[in-house]
Amino acid sequence: MKMLPDCHSCGSRNPDAVSAKAGSYTKGIGFLFSQETLDSRFHGNDIFGAKLKIIGLVFFILILISPLYAFSEQKELLIGLIPEENIFKQMDRYRPLAAYLSEKLGIKVRLTILSKYGDVIDRFASRRMDGAFFEAFTANLAMVKLNVEPIARPMNLDGTSTIKGYIFVRKDSGIKSIKDMKDKIVVFVDKATATGYVFTIAFFRENGVRDIDSYFSEYYFTGSHDSAVYAVLDNRADIGSAGSRFYQRIIDKDPAIKNELQILATSQEVPDITLCIRRDLPPELKLRIKEVLLNMDKDPTGKEVLKKFGALRFISAGKADFKPVFDLAKKAGIDIIEIR
Amino acid sequence: MTGNIPYYNEMHHAFVSKLQREGYADNVKIIIQKPYPDPISWSNAVRKLVAADVDLIVTYGAPATLSAVRERIKIPIVYSGVYEPIAKGIKSKNVTGISFRVPVSSLIRYLRGVTTVSSLGVIYNEAEEDSVHQLMELMRLSEQYGFEVEKIRLKRPEDANRMLSYKKTDAIFITSSSLVNMAADSIINIAKANRVPTVSLLSGTTGSEAIITLSVKPGEQGEKAAEKVIKILNGIPAERIQAESSRGTELIFNMKEANAMGLRLSMDLITEATRIIK
Repeated sequence: MKMLPDCHSCGSRNPDAVSAKAGSYTKGIGFLFSQETLDSRFHGNDIFGAKLKIIGLVFFILILISPLYAFSEQKELLIGLIPEENIFKQMDRYRPLAAYLSEKLGIKVRLTILSKYGDVIDRFASRRMDGAFFEAFTANLAMVKLNVEPIARPMNLDGTSTIKGYIFVRKDSGIKSIKDMKDKIVVFVDKATATGYVFTIAFFRENGVRDIDSYFSEYYFTGSHDSAVYAVLDNRADIGSAGSRFYQRIIDKDPAIKNELQILATSQEVPDITLCIRRDLPPELKLRIKEVLLNMDKDPTGKEVLKKFGALRFISAGKADFKPVFDLAKKAGIDIIEIR
Repeated sequence: MTGNIPYYNEMHHAFVSKLQREGYADNVKIIIQKPYPDPISWSNAVRKLVAADVDLIVTYGAPATLSAVRERIKIPIVYSGVYEPIAKGIKSKNVTGISFRVPVSSLIRYLRGVTTVSSLGVIYNEAEEDSVHQLMELMRLSEQYGFEVEKIRLKRPEDANRMLSYKKTDAIFITSSSLVNMAADSIINIAKANRVPTVSLLSGTTGSEAIITLSVKPGEQGEKAAEKVIKILNGIPAERIQAESSRGTELIFNMKEANAMGLRLSMDLITEATRIIK
């Protein structure tokens, strides 16, 4: 427990106390929890003095639950987004969340879209990002390469916080097995996606296809899950792979599509998009970010933001959640530590 | 080759170029027939080629292919540019080729992204089975998506102006019929003047382009047909050469005309388009 500084407004002795709210976060926390000192202030018989102290206490509590306090060393938070869908749609979803975090943290939260999945690690470091919403494989990669820490991930509107990989074809394609896939065109999302590449490669290897260059006539990357689904729908590719959430969203938008596509393989569940942050951020800031996210659904404004984001709430995330992704990468013959 | 449409001309150009590149230009004589799109003309064209004692017949498009198959000739036939649902029905041993599969439903989805479709005019030719198949598919989709299909049966290319003048629809679907595509420029221009968006299954290559086109590249199909012809010329029987479905589907968005017509700019379409005309 930290020492409790005094304050002019409640009659305490430390003249620096008020400014502490705009100073370091550690001082603010110290104010609230120094119960011994607070108790001693209410032991006197001076009713006026007691009132002042009560007002002071309320004031400090208000300070602590409001966003007025800031993190002196941290001027802003730069959060990266993986381009998992149409970037305009994606920014529409994330902007309200960034604004909400800015307000609650008292620090400007800026968003930046990484140009593609593959350069996530380099760009995270070169642009000095503080965190990013990573998909499962890139989160794994970032934990290994950047030592980031997973803190929270959204619970989707259907109550899930995980995602599965799908391998799908058009129903009228005649493709039913790996044998039928020979010399066909495959579309992936990006090399650095668990559901849009790693799972698919693992599936191919488990079914005897170790060299995709020779087995398929062509393969390419669309850069987004939606595009992978549309490429198969339009017959621009024969076999596609994408995350279940994106696949389902397209079907929800146009249920007729369900009659046109056939899912041939489904991966095990892996964590959906997860906010991972730099391990060396101030501990109090990390704690506060997590608190704000995990409590959004209890706050009317937070609820509105969640609605726009397309989530019920945020839940806590941890490193152990990502074990299935390590396993998947292993099956795909991908050594995360060796990836450059 | 039915009619004289840019799509088949480009396919043929790619076919001949491939033969030339592979060294078959000097020892292969090509006789071209361009029958008018009607059953008698197709049949006569095939019979003329049989009378000319050709070693092999190459057909472009479903109607010409089906006419050749129905003549029950023994000469090997290599088809190209045949709508896959029709190609699947061809079972003759002396026939092989390359078909294309373009989902009509995808075109409807993209169309609904740029405009509200309550009524869809479908221009087709009753004599061309691929065109009729597409009409039937659109009628099935109309129930799913809740729009009315206005059948526009074209008998002659020059009738396009008259047929469209009294049909008021929200959009026009140009099927892969050769006869309809002979009138494609007129159809697109009339629709443009009336601010009605058009969608097409065959790219216009040199002519006008519909607002949205989902089409298989004709050049690729021509080259594939040439590869099969070379195999036959080298003594491999047609029945041992597997028929295949073509690749290289293009999604073309004519953004220039869409803007001029004040249509919605669909982000899905802009993102997915393989070619945007600005």
